[in-house]
Amino acid sequence: MRNTNVLILTDDVEFARLLTACWQVERQLPGICVVTSEFWKEADTSSQDLIVIGPLKDGKLADVLRSMEPNTALILCAPSEAKELGLLRKKYPKLLHVPLREDWTQVVLLLAGESLRRTEALKLARQAERHAAQYANQATLGRYMYDMKHNMNNALTSLLGNAELLLLEPGGLSAQSLAQIKTIHTMALRINEVMQRFSSLASELKEGETQSQVETEEVNSSPTPRR
Amino acid sequence: MQFSVVENCAERMRVQKKVLIVDDSPAQVKLIQGLLEPEGYWPVGLNDPKRVEEAIAMERPSVILLDVVMPDRNGFQVCRELKSSTEFNSIPVILVTSKDTASDRYWGQQQGADGYVTKPFTREELLRAVRRFA
Repeated sequence: MRNTNVLILTDDVEFARLLTACWQVERQLPGICVVTSEFWKEADTSSQDLIVIGPLKDGKLADVLRSMEPNTALILCAPSEAKELGLLRKKYPKLLHVPLREDWTQVVLLLAGESLRRTEALKLARQAERHAAQYANQATLGRYMYDMKHNMNNALTSLLGNAELLLLEPGGLSAQSLAQIKTIHTMALRINEVMQRFSSLASELKEGETQSQVETEEVNSSPTPRR
Repeated sequence: MQFSVVENCAERMRVQKKVLIVDDSPAQVKLIQGLLEPEGYWPVGLNDPKRVEEAIAMERPSVILLDVVMPDRNGFQVCRELKSSTEFNSIPVILVTSKDTASDRYWGQQQGADGYVTKPFTREELLRAVRRFA
Protein backbone atom coordinates (compact mmCIF):
# COMPACT_ATOMS: atom_id res chain seq x y z
CA MET A 1 0.00 0.00 0.00
CA ARG A 2 2.67 2.43 -1.02
CA ASN A 3 1.65 6.03 -1.67
CA THR A 4 -1.91 5.65 -0.41
CA ASN A 5 -3.66 8.30 1.65
CA VAL A 6 -6.51 8.07 4.14
CA LEU A 7 -8.55 10.94 5.51
CA ILE A 8 -10.25 10.46 8.89
CA LEU A 9 -13.16 12.83 9.24
CA THR A 10 -14.63 13.03 12.73
CA ASP A 11 -15.52 15.40 15.53
CA ASP A 12 -14.76 12.69 18.09
CA VAL A 13 -11.09 13.02 19.15
CA GLU A 14 -11.10 9.63 20.84
CA PHE A 15 -12.32 7.95 17.64
CA ALA A 16 -9.49 9.48 15.61
CA ARG A 17 -6.88 8.72 18.27
CA LEU A 18 -7.91 5.08 18.63
CA LEU A 19 -8.09 4.41 14.89
CA THR A 20 -4.74 6.07 14.19
CA ALA A 21 -3.10 4.15 17.06
CA CYS A 22 -4.45 0.84 15.72
CA TRP A 23 -3.22 1.68 12.20
CA GLN A 24 0.25 2.51 13.44
CA VAL A 25 0.86 -1.03 14.68
CA GLU A 26 0.06 -2.42 11.22
CA ARG A 27 2.99 -3.28 8.92
CA GLN A 28 1.70 -1.07 6.09
CA LEU A 29 0.75 2.39 7.19
CA PRO A 30 -0.93 4.75 4.70
CA GLY A 31 -0.56 8.51 4.89
CA ILE A 32 -3.18 9.58 7.47
CA CYS A 33 -4.82 13.00 7.77
CA VAL A 34 -7.43 13.82 10.43
CA VAL A 35 -9.95 16.66 10.06
CA THR A 36 -13.08 17.74 11.89
CA SER A 37 -16.32 18.65 10.14
CA GLU A 38 -15.50 22.29 10.84
CA PHE A 39 -12.41 22.19 8.57
CA TRP A 40 -13.75 19.60 6.16
CA LYS A 41 -14.28 21.97 3.26
CA GLU A 42 -10.67 23.19 3.44
CA ALA A 43 -9.24 19.66 3.30
CA ASP A 44 -7.84 18.45 -0.01
CA THR A 45 -9.83 15.33 -0.78
CA SER A 46 -8.61 14.85 -4.33
CA SER A 47 -5.41 13.15 -3.18
CA GLN A 48 -7.22 10.85 -0.72
CA ASP A 49 -7.72 7.21 -1.65
CA LEU A 50 -10.15 6.53 1.20
CA ILE A 51 -12.22 8.59 3.61
CA VAL A 52 -13.21 7.16 7.01
CA ILE A 53 -16.08 9.05 8.58
CA GLY A 54 -16.46 8.76 12.33
CA PRO A 55 -18.98 10.36 14.68
CA LEU A 56 -19.83 13.95 13.64
CA LYS A 57 -21.75 16.80 15.24
CA ASP A 58 -25.52 16.67 14.71
CA GLY A 59 -26.61 17.42 11.16
CA LYS A 60 -23.05 17.53 9.78
CA LEU A 61 -23.11 14.08 8.13
CA ALA A 62 -25.62 15.11 5.48
CA ASP A 63 -23.56 18.25 4.62
CA VAL A 64 -20.36 16.26 4.38
CA LEU A 65 -21.82 13.55 2.18
CA ARG A 66 -23.45 16.12 -0.10
CA SER A 67 -20.10 17.74 -0.81
CA MET A 68 -18.40 14.44 -1.75
CA GLU A 69 -17.85 12.97 -5.19
CA PRO A 70 -20.13 9.95 -5.65
CA ASN A 71 -17.14 7.74 -6.53
CA THR A 72 -15.15 8.49 -3.37
CA ALA A 73 -14.26 5.34 -1.40
CA LEU A 74 -15.99 5.79 1.96
CA ILE A 75 -16.18 3.91 5.26
CA LEU A 76 -18.86 5.24 7.54
CA CYS A 77 -18.54 4.29 11.20
CA ALA A 78 -21.92 4.96 12.72
CA PRO A 79 -24.59 3.20 14.76
CA SER A 80 -26.90 1.04 12.65
CA GLU A 81 -29.91 2.92 11.39
CA ALA A 82 -31.03 0.68 8.59
CA LYS A 83 -33.41 3.05 6.84
CA GLU A 84 -31.03 6.01 6.59
CA LEU A 85 -28.08 3.79 5.55
CA GLY A 86 -30.13 2.20 2.81
CA LEU A 87 -30.72 5.62 1.25
CA LEU A 88 -27.07 6.61 1.60
CA ARG A 89 -25.88 3.40 -0.06
CA LYS A 90 -28.06 4.11 -3.07
CA LYS A 91 -26.49 7.53 -3.46
CA TYR A 92 -22.91 6.46 -2.67
CA PRO A 93 -22.32 3.01 -4.15
CA LYS A 94 -18.83 2.81 -2.65
CA LEU A 95 -20.02 3.51 0.89
CA LEU A 96 -19.16 0.82 3.43
CA HIS A 97 -20.86 0.87 6.82
CA VAL A 98 -19.16 -0.29 10.01
CA PRO A 99 -21.41 -0.39 13.08
CA LEU A 100 -19.76 1.09 16.17
CA ARG A 101 -19.52 -2.12 18.11
CA GLU A 102 -16.69 -3.43 20.31
CA ASP A 103 -14.45 -4.61 17.41
CA TRP A 104 -15.05 -1.67 15.07
CA THR A 105 -11.34 -0.73 14.74
CA GLN A 106 -10.42 -4.20 13.45
CA VAL A 107 -13.28 -4.14 10.97
CA VAL A 108 -12.31 -0.67 9.73
CA LEU A 109 -8.66 -1.71 9.29
CA LEU A 110 -9.67 -4.84 7.41
CA LEU A 111 -12.04 -2.96 5.10
CA ALA A 112 -9.60 -0.08 4.63
CA GLY A 113 -6.81 -2.54 3.73
CA GLU A 114 -8.96 -4.14 1.05
CA SER A 115 -10.17 -0.79 -0.25
CA LEU A 116 -6.63 0.60 -0.49
CA ARG A 117 -5.35 -2.55 -2.20
CA ARG A 118 -8.15 -2.18 -4.71
CA THR A 119 -7.23 1.46 -5.28
CA GLU A 120 -3.60 0.52 -5.75
CA ALA A 121 -4.50 -2.29 -8.14
CA LEU A 122 -6.60 0.17 -10.16
CA LYS A 123 -3.69 2.62 -10.28
CA LEU A 124 -1.39 -0.16 -11.53
CA ALA A 125 -3.96 -1.25 -14.10
CA ARG A 126 -4.28 2.32 -15.42
CA GLN A 127 -0.49 2.64 -15.53
CA ALA A 128 -0.27 -0.67 -17.41
CA GLU A 129 -2.94 0.52 -19.86
CA ARG A 130 -0.99 3.73 -20.49
CA HIS A 131 2.21 1.72 -21.05
CA ALA A 132 0.38 -0.71 -23.34
CA ALA A 133 -0.95 2.17 -25.45
CA GLN A 134 2.52 3.70 -25.61
CA TYR A 135 4.10 0.36 -26.61
CA ALA A 136 1.41 -0.23 -29.23
CA ASN A 137 2.43 3.05 -30.88
CA GLN A 138 6.09 2.13 -30.67
CA ALA A 139 5.35 -1.33 -32.06
CA THR A 140 3.60 0.18 -35.09
CA LEU A 141 6.56 2.44 -35.70
CA GLY A 142 8.94 -0.48 -35.15
CA ARG A 143 7.10 -2.72 -37.60
CA TYR A 144 7.12 0.04 -40.21
CA MET A 145 10.83 0.66 -39.69
CA TYR A 146 11.55 -3.06 -39.85
CA ASP A 147 9.70 -3.45 -43.16
CA MET A 148 11.32 -0.37 -44.60
CA LYS A 149 14.75 -1.47 -43.42
CA HIS A 150 14.55 -4.65 -45.48
CA ASN A 151 13.60 -2.68 -48.60
CA MET A 152 16.19 -0.04 -47.87
CA ASN A 153 18.95 -2.63 -47.42
CA ASN A 154 18.07 -4.26 -50.73
CA ALA A 155 18.12 -0.90 -52.49
CA LEU A 156 21.42 -0.04 -50.84
CA THR A 157 22.91 -3.35 -51.96
CA SER A 158 22.13 -2.42 -55.55
CA LEU A 159 23.47 1.10 -55.13
CA LEU A 160 26.71 0.04 -53.49
CA GLY A 161 27.23 -3.01 -55.69
CA ASN A 162 26.61 -1.27 -58.98
CA ALA A 163 28.80 1.66 -57.96
CA GLU A 164 31.56 -0.80 -57.09
CA LEU A 165 31.10 -2.60 -60.41
CA LEU A 166 31.49 0.67 -62.29
CA LEU A 167 34.54 1.58 -60.21
CA LEU A 168 36.15 -1.77 -61.12
CA GLU A 169 36.73 -0.47 -64.63
CA PRO A 170 37.42 3.23 -64.24
CA GLY A 171 39.22 3.42 -67.60
CA GLY A 172 35.99 3.73 -69.57
CA LEU A 173 34.71 6.65 -67.46
CA SER A 174 35.40 10.36 -67.68
CA ALA A 175 36.98 11.99 -64.64
CA GLN A 176 33.67 13.71 -63.87
CA SER A 177 31.65 10.45 -64.08
CA LEU A 178 34.21 8.70 -61.91
CA ALA A 179 33.95 11.41 -59.25
CA GLN A 180 30.14 11.23 -59.38
CA ILE A 181 30.12 7.44 -58.98
CA LYS A 182 32.51 7.72 -56.04
CA THR A 183 30.10 10.23 -54.45
CA ILE A 184 27.18 7.82 -54.98
CA HIS A 185 29.23 5.05 -53.35
CA THR A 186 30.20 7.21 -50.35
CA MET A 187 26.63 8.42 -49.83
CA ALA A 188 25.29 4.86 -50.01
CA LEU A 189 27.75 3.88 -47.27
CA ARG A 190 26.57 6.83 -45.18
CA ILE A 191 22.92 5.80 -45.56
CA ASN A 192 23.98 2.34 -44.45
CA GLU A 193 25.47 3.85 -41.27
CA VAL A 194 22.17 5.63 -40.59
CA MET A 195 20.30 2.35 -41.01
CA GLN A 196 22.65 0.69 -38.52
CA ARG A 197 21.73 3.42 -36.02
CA PHE A 198 18.05 2.56 -36.49
CA SER A 199 18.95 -0.99 -35.49
CA SER A 200 20.58 0.19 -32.27
CA LEU A 201 17.53 2.38 -31.59
CA ALA A 202 15.35 -0.73 -31.77
CA SER A 203 17.63 -2.42 -29.19
CA GLU A 204 17.40 0.63 -26.90
CA LEU A 205 13.59 0.59 -27.09
CA LYS A 206 13.60 -3.10 -26.21
CA GLU A 207 15.88 -2.41 -23.22
CA GLY A 208 13.52 0.33 -22.01
CA GLU A 209 10.59 -2.04 -22.26
CA THR A 210 12.40 -4.73 -20.22
CA GLN A 211 13.33 -2.19 -17.55
CA SER A 212 9.72 -1.00 -17.26
CA GLN A 213 8.54 -4.60 -16.96
CA VAL A 214 11.03 -5.23 -14.12
CA GLU A 215 9.74 -2.13 -12.29
CA THR A 216 6.12 -3.29 -12.63
CA GLU A 217 7.05 -6.74 -11.33
CA GLU A 218 8.83 -5.16 -8.34
CA VAL A 219 5.69 -3.18 -7.45
CA ASN A 220 3.54 -6.30 -7.73
CA SER A 221 5.84 -8.43 -5.58
CA SER A 222 5.91 -5.95 -2.62
CA PRO A 223 4.96 -7.71 0.69
CA THR A 224 1.26 -7.93 1.56
CA PRO A 225 0.15 -6.36 4.84
CA ARG A 226 -0.23 -8.43 7.96
CA ARG A 227 -3.78 -9.37 8.88
CA MET B 1 31.96 -27.58 -83.69
CA GLN B 2 29.55 -29.21 -81.22
CA PHE B 3 32.44 -31.15 -79.74
CA SER B 4 34.37 -27.93 -79.29
CA VAL B 5 31.49 -26.32 -77.31
CA VAL B 6 31.36 -29.32 -74.96
CA GLU B 7 35.13 -29.22 -74.59
CA ASN B 8 35.04 -25.48 -73.79
CA CYS B 9 32.34 -26.04 -71.22
CA ALA B 10 34.34 -28.85 -69.58
CA GLU B 11 37.44 -26.65 -69.52
CA ARG B 12 35.46 -23.79 -67.98
CA MET B 13 34.10 -26.12 -65.30
CA ARG B 14 37.61 -27.32 -64.50
CA VAL B 15 38.97 -23.80 -64.13
CA GLN B 16 36.00 -21.86 -62.78
CA LYS B 17 34.08 -22.56 -59.57
CA LYS B 18 30.34 -22.46 -60.04
CA VAL B 19 28.32 -20.30 -57.62
CA LEU B 20 24.54 -20.69 -57.48
CA ILE B 21 22.84 -17.39 -56.58
CA VAL B 22 19.29 -17.79 -55.28
CA ASP B 23 17.44 -14.49 -54.96
CA ASP B 24 13.91 -13.52 -55.99
CA SER B 25 15.20 -10.15 -57.20
CA PRO B 26 16.69 -10.35 -60.71
CA ALA B 27 18.55 -7.07 -60.04
CA GLN B 28 20.32 -8.58 -57.02
CA VAL B 29 21.20 -11.73 -58.96
CA LYS B 30 22.61 -9.67 -61.80
CA LEU B 31 24.60 -7.54 -59.39
CA ILE B 32 26.16 -10.52 -57.60
CA GLN B 33 26.94 -12.13 -60.96
CA GLY B 34 28.68 -8.92 -61.98
CA LEU B 35 30.76 -8.93 -58.79
CA LEU B 36 31.77 -12.61 -59.02
CA GLU B 37 32.54 -12.95 -62.73
CA PRO B 38 35.63 -10.68 -62.79
CA GLU B 39 37.03 -12.79 -59.93
CA GLY B 40 36.97 -15.94 -62.06
CA TYR B 41 33.79 -17.50 -60.71
CA TRP B 42 30.99 -18.94 -62.83
CA PRO B 43 27.82 -17.49 -61.31
CA VAL B 44 24.46 -19.06 -62.10
CA GLY B 45 21.30 -17.17 -61.09
CA LEU B 46 17.99 -18.56 -59.89
CA ASN B 47 14.95 -16.43 -59.01
CA ASP B 48 12.60 -19.21 -57.92
CA PRO B 49 13.50 -20.73 -54.52
CA LYS B 50 11.19 -23.69 -55.15
CA ARG B 51 13.55 -24.94 -57.87
CA VAL B 52 16.78 -24.91 -55.83
CA GLU B 53 17.23 -28.69 -55.70
CA GLU B 54 16.59 -28.96 -59.44
CA ALA B 55 19.17 -26.24 -60.13
CA ILE B 56 21.76 -27.86 -57.86
CA ALA B 57 21.27 -31.23 -59.55
CA MET B 58 21.78 -29.60 -62.93
CA GLU B 59 24.58 -27.13 -62.15
CA ARG B 60 26.50 -28.88 -59.34
CA PRO B 61 27.69 -25.60 -57.76
CA SER B 62 30.67 -25.33 -55.40
CA VAL B 63 28.81 -22.90 -53.18
CA ILE B 64 25.28 -21.48 -52.87
CA LEU B 65 24.48 -17.84 -52.13
CA LEU B 66 20.99 -17.84 -50.69
CA ASP B 67 18.70 -14.88 -50.01
CA VAL B 68 16.40 -15.24 -46.98
CA VAL B 69 13.31 -13.09 -47.58
CA MET B 70 11.69 -14.71 -50.61
CA PRO B 71 8.08 -15.56 -51.44
CA ASP B 72 6.75 -19.15 -51.18
CA ARG B 73 9.92 -20.59 -49.67
CA ASN B 74 12.27 -18.53 -47.52
CA GLY B 75 16.03 -18.96 -47.35
CA PHE B 76 16.04 -20.43 -43.82
CA GLN B 77 13.62 -23.09 -45.02
CA VAL B 78 15.68 -23.86 -48.14
CA CYS B 79 18.89 -24.06 -46.10
CA ARG B 80 17.32 -26.36 -43.50
CA GLU B 81 16.04 -28.69 -46.20
CA LEU B 82 19.34 -28.76 -48.11
CA LYS B 83 21.30 -29.50 -44.96
CA SER B 84 19.02 -32.35 -44.01
CA SER B 85 19.37 -33.92 -47.46
CA THR B 86 22.15 -36.48 -47.84
CA GLU B 87 22.47 -35.53 -51.51
CA PHE B 88 23.05 -31.81 -51.01
CA ASN B 89 24.27 -31.30 -47.45
CA SER B 90 27.96 -31.12 -48.41
CA ILE B 91 27.49 -27.97 -50.53
CA PRO B 92 28.34 -24.83 -48.52
CA VAL B 93 25.43 -22.40 -48.14
CA ILE B 94 26.03 -18.70 -47.54
CA LEU B 95 22.97 -16.72 -46.50
CA VAL B 96 22.97 -13.29 -48.16
CA THR B 97 20.28 -11.23 -46.51
CA SER B 98 19.07 -7.89 -45.23
CA LYS B 99 18.15 -9.57 -41.93
CA ASP B 100 20.99 -8.33 -39.79
CA THR B 101 20.15 -8.90 -36.13
CA ALA B 102 22.08 -11.26 -33.86
CA SER B 103 19.03 -13.50 -33.58
CA ASP B 104 18.79 -13.70 -37.40
CA ARG B 105 22.43 -14.82 -37.57
CA TYR B 106 21.87 -17.33 -34.79
CA TRP B 107 18.78 -18.68 -36.54
CA GLY B 108 20.74 -18.95 -39.79
CA GLN B 109 23.41 -20.99 -37.99
CA GLN B 110 20.71 -23.20 -36.52
CA GLN B 111 19.51 -23.98 -40.04
CA GLY B 112 23.01 -25.19 -40.92
CA ALA B 113 24.25 -22.19 -42.94
CA ASP B 114 28.02 -22.14 -43.44
CA GLY B 115 28.29 -18.38 -43.89
CA TYR B 116 26.28 -15.19 -43.39
CA VAL B 117 26.58 -11.95 -45.38
CA THR B 118 24.31 -9.01 -44.58
CA LYS B 119 22.94 -6.64 -47.18
CA PRO B 120 24.13 -4.11 -48.07
CA PHE B 121 27.55 -5.73 -48.48
CA THR B 122 30.70 -4.43 -50.07
CA ARG B 123 32.35 -6.32 -52.90
CA GLU B 124 35.13 -7.34 -50.53
CA GLU B 125 32.74 -8.73 -47.92
CA LEU B 126 30.98 -10.87 -50.51
CA LEU B 127 34.21 -12.15 -52.07
CA ARG B 128 35.72 -12.94 -48.64
CA ALA B 129 32.68 -15.09 -47.81
CA VAL B 130 32.75 -16.92 -51.17
CA ARG B 131 36.52 -17.51 -51.09
CA ARG B 132 36.20 -19.41 -47.81
CA PHE B 133 34.42 -22.18 -49.72
CA ALA B 134 35.34 -21.88 -53.40
